[in-house]
This record gives sequence, structure tokens and C-alpha cells, in this order.
Amino acid sequence: MTITDKRDTYDVPLTAHRGFLANSAFTGLSTFAATLILVLLAAVATFLVTEAWPALTDGGAVLADKVEWIKPAAGESLIQIIGYLVFGTVLISGIALLIATPLSIGIALFISHYAPRRLAAGLGYLIDLLAAIPSVVYGLWGSIVLVPALQPFYQWLGSTFGWIPLFAPDPVTGVVSPTGRVALSAGIVLAIMIIPIVTAVTREVFLQTPKLHEEAALAMGATRWEMIRMAVFPFGRSGMIGATMLGLGRALGETMAVFMILSVGLSYSFNIIQSGEHNTIASYIAGQFPEANSYGVSALIAMGLALFIITLLVNILARWIVSRRSEFSGAN
Amino acid sequence: MTKRIDVNNLNVYYGGFLAVEDVSLAIEPNSVTALIGPSGCGKSTFLRTLNRMHEVIPGARVEGEVLMDGTNLYDSSVDPVAVRRHVGMVFQRPNPFPTMSIAENVMAGVKLNSGRMPKPESEELVEATLRGANLWDEVKDRLGEPGSSLSGGQQQRLCIARAIAIKPDVLLMDEPCSALDPISTLAIEDLIQDLKTNYTIVIVTHNMQQAARVSEKTGFFNIAGAGKPGKLIEMDDTTTIFSAPSEKATEDYISGRFG
Amino acid sequence: MNIALRSSAVVSATALTLLLTACSASNENPTTTPPNSDGPATSGARALSGELNGAGASTQQVAMEAWRAKFQADNPGLTINYDPVGSGGGRTQFLDGSVAWAGSDAALSADEYASALDRCGADGAINLPVYVSPVAVAFNLDGVTSLNMDASTIAKIFDGKVTTWNDPAIADQNPGVALPDAAITIVHRSDESGTTKNFTDYLAKASDGAWPYDASGDWANDLGESGQGTAGVIQILSSTSGTIGYADESQVGNLGVVSVKVGDTYNAPSAEGAAIALEASTPAGQNGPNDLAYTLDRTTTAAGAYPIMLSSYAIVCQKYDDATVAANVTSFLAYVASQDGQAAAAAAAGSAPISPDLSAKILSILEGIATASGV
Repeated sequence: MTITDKRDTYDVPLTAHRGFLANSAFTGLSTFAATLILVLLAAVATFLVTEAWPALTDGGAVLADKVEWIKPAAGESLIQIIGYLVFGTVLISGIALLIATPLSIGIALFISHYAPRRLAAGLGYLIDLLAAIPSVVYGLWGSIVLVPALQPFYQWLGSTFGWIPLFAPDPVTGVVSPTGRVALSAGIVLAIMIIPIVTAVTREVFLQTPKLHEEAALAMGATRWEMIRMAVFPFGRSGMIGATMLGLGRALGETMAVFMILSVGLSYSFNIIQSGEHNTIASYIAGQFPEANSYGVSALIAMGLALFIITLLVNILARWIVSRRSEFSGAN
Repeated sequence: MTKRIDVNNLNVYYGGFLAVEDVSLAIEPNSVTALIGPSGCGKSTFLRTLNRMHEVIPGARVEGEVLMDGTNLYDSSVDPVAVRRHVGMVFQRPNPFPTMSIAENVMAGVKLNSGRMPKPESEELVEATLRGANLWDEVKDRLGEPGSSLSGGQQQRLCIARAIAIKPDVLLMDEPCSALDPISTLAIEDLIQDLKTNYTIVIVTHNMQQAARVSEKTGFFNIAGAGKPGKLIEMDDTTTIFSAPSEKATEDYISGRFG
Repeated sequence: MNIALRSSAVVSATALTLLLTACSASNENPTTTPPNSDGPATSGARALSGELNGAGASTQQVAMEAWRAKFQADNPGLTINYDPVGSGGGRTQFLDGSVAWAGSDAALSADEYASALDRCGADGAINLPVYVSPVAVAFNLDGVTSLNMDASTIAKIFDGKVTTWNDPAIADQNPGVALPDAAITIVHRSDESGTTKNFTDYLAKASDGAWPYDASGDWANDLGESGQGTAGVIQILSSTSGTIGYADESQVGNLGVVSVKVGDTYNAPSAEGAAIALEASTPAGQNGPNDLAYTLDRTTTAAGAYPIMLSSYAIVCQKYDDATVAANVTSFLAYVASQDGQAAAAAAAGSAPISPDLSAKILSILEGIATASGV
């Protein structure tokens, strides 16, 4: 080919060309993936409803007859148990969130805005590593190491702040749980489990704060903390809520750690340092499923349905909070 | 309340790299001083040393002194946060806080300094400041809307309002019009003329006509080559710089033969 | 041609031959295998091949490992899988046909007998006790390794009526033992389990009303601490002083154990005691004489008996449609129920070997199933 053959334009036909196929293939692929999610969600919901249907429709007497742990006479019909479990699940997840959120935001801020770059990178890596630890390991560590270590602290809480209903000792024995296998312990271990995910997401959000906004704040004479409140938090607000909800989602559904750490029971007690008062839906299902007959499985799936609904509600609430001031978000 | 600034033998480093070398100049109160020069010559870096904003970048440090009415801003007893409350800054791209309303943007810095203010008093301050920034008539009916709903030029004037609301002594402007259309640019330039009765203004600009229009004094920064430090070549009255500069490099630059 | 090999020595020595004969057998006649014509079959001596799948109680898991290892070594052509999903899951999988047999801590319920008619045909399914294990009442009390208690004292403790270790209810039965004035912390299972069911069955039947609840695999009251699985209970007991709980006897380690009042004596938990108590009990299967579901006699006064024990079953069909499956199931379970198999389980899991009589009875039932299925 000689230089005189050089053309000013390529000879591209106006009809379908090379990129067309790849483009339509990718369009199809991504549409398929998006549809798949919807189908999966619908499939799960359908499964839960159809499998739970016998338990939801069978009279209490039938269930009580077929399933050992459904005891309407003792105030533990299926719906009453679900009530206790929803309460326990929300309570323990709430404790976890209350502990994990400020800690996670603190860690994320330290990594994104305070730590020297090399320390920040190492710390970020460590946090991500924490997220990779399976929950059974957290459960084991929690039940063997952490919970016994916390027990003296609960003892102190009970004797010092026993007048607060949260920390009241047992009315009969007058002592707090001698093992520390209580809702607060489960909440603390769950908090440790969700810190990595909440930290990782908030850190990413904080790092994306536009330099422009940070400098605007600093140039007005804001201290670093004032800059964070003025520029970083408002910008990262929806991200922080999203991260918290991710953490809550994990806490709500966490099974093994709670299962291994908590001395279970069914009640509407707010006393978080007494054992035998609470249980979560996921942990209850894990405990009863292996020995359950078909009616029991159906009843357990009804509980799973309740958990599914709670999680949906939590996400809807989070969406609503995020969207409430969307015109003020950093997105535009 | 406006103040003069004297810079003596200032070197700016990023880590081990000398970015700006040996700058000495004087900035008179109630004047507009323009800094011009090719890209990368260190004029923005130098500007940021006047309110210690360069310290936001890790590893940045200076040698020499910057005196504001005789006080060295780099004295160990001086808090950079306090410096910035006296020396305000407006940036290249308008950057109102997106989560705050127009009024909240104006009050953002005030809240830092004096905490909460009674409502009537703060409304008064918002109006006075926005009038001072030639923005009041355009936004008075929508003070509660987000700052990001304004046009680029309006946003930049909002940023100027935000900077002057805390009543600084000096106002630094880092290419404030480079992201704006000519009409918005004109509005900002008019505003600069109004502001100099109350503030000492230092403006970095790429636009030589702008420097000629708004400033009394002009400093020309240049760089000998990539990796070399930027230097202040000469500084003089704006008319002198644009008509009869004493340095060859300055003349080349303003006549378009360079950079 | 006769592929029924009589000697296990031959089996293990000539795996290749076995394989070849098995192949030729299936070539010539894939559906039927010549039945054992002469004399009682010696189980485990058929040429077995393919996969045998079971599922169910985790109670049997440790013993199952020992049984599988030994039986697969003797029958290299056969792969045995046991999924310890739990008794309920095992029964469900058995009834819907996904596994050949189920391990279960509880015998089939009336409903399940009914659905077994679909699964197995008109003869239904039966329960065979293959794993019997004593459940110890274990405690952690400094310096005390053994305590005597009767059933009603145990019941009162676990129902929160006796709350301190030096309560007269305990002290009166343990003269000379220094009991501290410390709170009793009861520990139970947090998951539904056969261990709990058998323990509470004992309390309900033997405590003269001191245990106000029915026998249940799910813990009845909201008292005390709970742990997940036997390991969870043991872990709490070991780490906390003043605790008392119940767990499979083989797992209690250094914990103190309660000797239970039987008649006028106090018997410590032992495999022999559990076997004696099972002997004293009567089969109460609802599916004919072959159904060996036991109603355990918790109030037996037989000398040496230890009535807190768990009997775990193998649930099988009386007749299998598929002769290969039938051969696999009956041969394997025949080994499990044999004196050898029971000894292996005792060594591995601390279970109580069933008596030779019961063992022989189970073997003949299994042989009957094999015959009925056309093996």
C-alpha cells in the first residue's frame, strides 16, 4: 500500500456494522440479568408463600397437634412465636446497628480523611479481610472467647445500672446471666460482623466527596471536623444510609453467630443482659429445622416469610429516607 | 479591615519538589492584584500559600514568610484554620454545597465562626451579602432552593457571597471565571470592581484581558521548563506590564508569542 | 451362576473377581439376583455395588462414620452416604423416596406411617433400634464429680423450683458432699433435639408430676441458658461454674455427672445401664411385629438400669421395589445391628450395644425384607 492510497474516510456502510452485534448482544445480556433478579425475587416470594401456606391456613389446633414447639396453650401459637421472634430479631439487629454504625463511620473517616495514606491502605485492607471471615468463626470466637470475657462487664452493668430496665438482673435470682449468652452479646458480635461491610461502603462514599466541596469548607476556615460535617457527611448521607441498611440486612439474616452465642427464649423483654429471653428468626429456623416434620417445616417457612417481609420493609424505608431530600443530594 | 500582604523569599515545596522559588512581592490593601502566567507556572500554588490552603495536599510546605499587616502567617503560633477565616477564597469551578439551600450556603461560614444566629439577623445578613455579591435580585424568591439549581455564573457569585459573608480581610480568587460564559464573566468582573472598596483581592487568571480590566497590579509567573520551579518574573502596575514590561519573557507572553 | 460369596475374606481378597462377577451378572440378568437358597444368609456377604443413601439424625453420625468405614472397606463396590440433616429431615427424605433409609431419634408418627404406605407399598415402613446411648445429666461444680438425684429433684432443678446447690432436695440425697450456696444455672439445647425429647420424656414419666410439661424435643420453659447442639451445651457447662445440663454420655468429659435413682440405688450413666433399660422396655411399634419402635420404660427398677437414654432408629421399608437397593440397605444395616457393628459404635461413639437377642431379631427382620424384595 502506498501513501497515495490513503483515504480521508473509512468506507463504513450505513447499515449494520461490526459493533452492532456486540452492542445488541450486550443489551440482551444486561436486560436478561436485570430480569433474572426480578424473576428470582418473585420465585423466592412465591416459594415462601406456597410453602408457608399450610401453616398459615391450618388452624392453630392442627399445628399444635403436629408440631411440638407450637404450644397455643402456653401462649406460643405460630403467630405468637413469630411475634416474639420478630421482636428479638429487630432488638438484636438494632443493638448491632447502634454499636456498628458510629464505629464504622469513625473507622471509615479515619481511613478516608485522617490516616496517613499508607496506614489507610493497610487498615482498609484489614477491614476488608474481616468481612471475609465466615460467620461460624465469629460465632465460635464469640461463644468461647468474647462472651465469657463480657460476663463480668454485664455483672457490673447489672449491679450499677440495674435500675435501668435494659440492664435489670433476673427478678428471681437477682443476678445477671452467669454465662453472658444474652442479647447484648449477640448484638455486639453481630456489630463486629457488620462493621466491615458498613465501613467499606461508607469509606468508598467518603473518598468520593468532591475535592471542590472539601476545599470550599476548608477555605472558609472550617476545621477538619467542620469540613467533614459540612462537605463529607452531606455528600455521603445516602451512601451512609445505604451502608447501614446493608449491615442491617446482614444482621437481620445472620444465623450461625446468633445461634451459637445466644441462650434462647421467647419474650418481649427489653432486658438485654438476661439469658433465655430472646431469639431471632434465622436462629430459630436453624435450631428447629433439622428435626422438623413437614408441618414444622411449613411453619418455619412462614417465619422465613416474616423475615423476608421485614427485610423488604427495611429496604423500602431506607429508599424513602434516601429519596426524601434527593434534590439536595450530591448526585447532581 | 482590609490588610496588606508582604511576601518575602517564599519557596513552596511538594515533598522534595520545589514548585515555586523565591517569590517576594507586596500586595496593597483595597487593590486588585492579578497573577498571570502559563499553565503550571505555580501561580495557583502561590495563591494558595496566602491562606495556607496548599497544606490540604499532603507533603506541601513553604519556606520564607507571608506577612499580613506584619504578622507572619507561617509563625508557629498561627492556626491555619484562623488564617482562612481572614483570607477567603473562591475557586476555579463554582462549588456551592449541594445539600444546602442558597441561604444556607451563604450562612455556612458564618455558622462556623459565630454559631447559630437569631433568624431575623441571619436573614438580614443573607440579604446584605447576596446584594453585595450582585445576586440578590436573581435569587430573592428562591432562597430555600438548592445552590446547585443556579446557573454557573450565579453559583460562582453565590460562592463569592459565601466567602464574603464571613467578612474576611483578603479575598483570593483562583481563575474564578474560567468555567463561565462571557456574560457571567462580565458580571463577576463587575463584582470584583465593587468588592475592592472593602477587600484586598488577589486573582489568578489565564485571561490577560481580564487581568488588564480588573487589576491595578499584575504579577507575571513563568517556568523555565518541565520539572523546574515557577518564579515570579516581574510585578508592576498593570498598565506598565501590558504596555512596557521590563522583562523579555513578560513581553513574549502578553504578546502571544509564548505560552 | 452363583455370585453370593460366603466368606468376607474372599470378598476383601478378590475385589477384582467380585467386580467382574458383578458385571457379568448384570450383563446376563440385570433385574434379578439369585436369592440365597440355603440356610440363613450371612449379611454383608452379598456382592454389593453402587450407592446407598441415607439421611437423618445427627445423633448417629459418629457411629455412622465407623460403620461406613468398616463396611465400605469390606465392600469396595459400594458407596454409602449419610447426610446428618436431623431426624425430621431424614424421615421426610425417606418418605419422599430420596434416601433408602432414615436415621431418626423418634419413631414414625401416625401420619408418617400412612405416607410410608405410598413410599414402601402395602407393608409400610418399620423402625429398628440400632443406636442406643445414655444421656448424662452433667454439671460443673468445683470439687464435686458425682451427685445423687432422683427424678423429681432433677425435674425441679430444670424447672427452676430448686435454685441453689445446697438446697435440701439435693443435700439430703448427698450426705457428706460439700455443696456451695451458689445459684444453679440450668443449660439446655437451643435446637430441637432427640436428646431433649428423651430427657424430658424421662422427667415427665419418672418425676411423679414434678415436671409439668409433656415430653418434647423443644425445651419447655424459658429458664436458664441454652447451647446449640451437644457441643454447645458441653461448652457452656465446661466454661461456667454452677451449671447443670444434659448431653450424650460419651461427650461429658471431665464434667461431674449425676447418678440417677433407680429403685433404691443410684446408677451412674453407662452404656450397660442403658442397654438394661432398653431390655426392660417393650416394643410398641404400630406396624406389626417387625416394627421395633420402643416405648422406653423410664421407671424401670431393673438392677443396674440407667433410664435416661436415647434410642435412635433406622427406618426402613418392609419391601423395596429395587432389589439392588434392598440388598444394599439390608446388608449394611445387618452389619450395623450385628454384635460387630454395635461394638464398633460403642468404641467410636460410646453408645450402648444392643443385646444379642435384639441383634439377632433385627438381623432376621432384615433378612425378611431382603427376601420380600427379591434379593
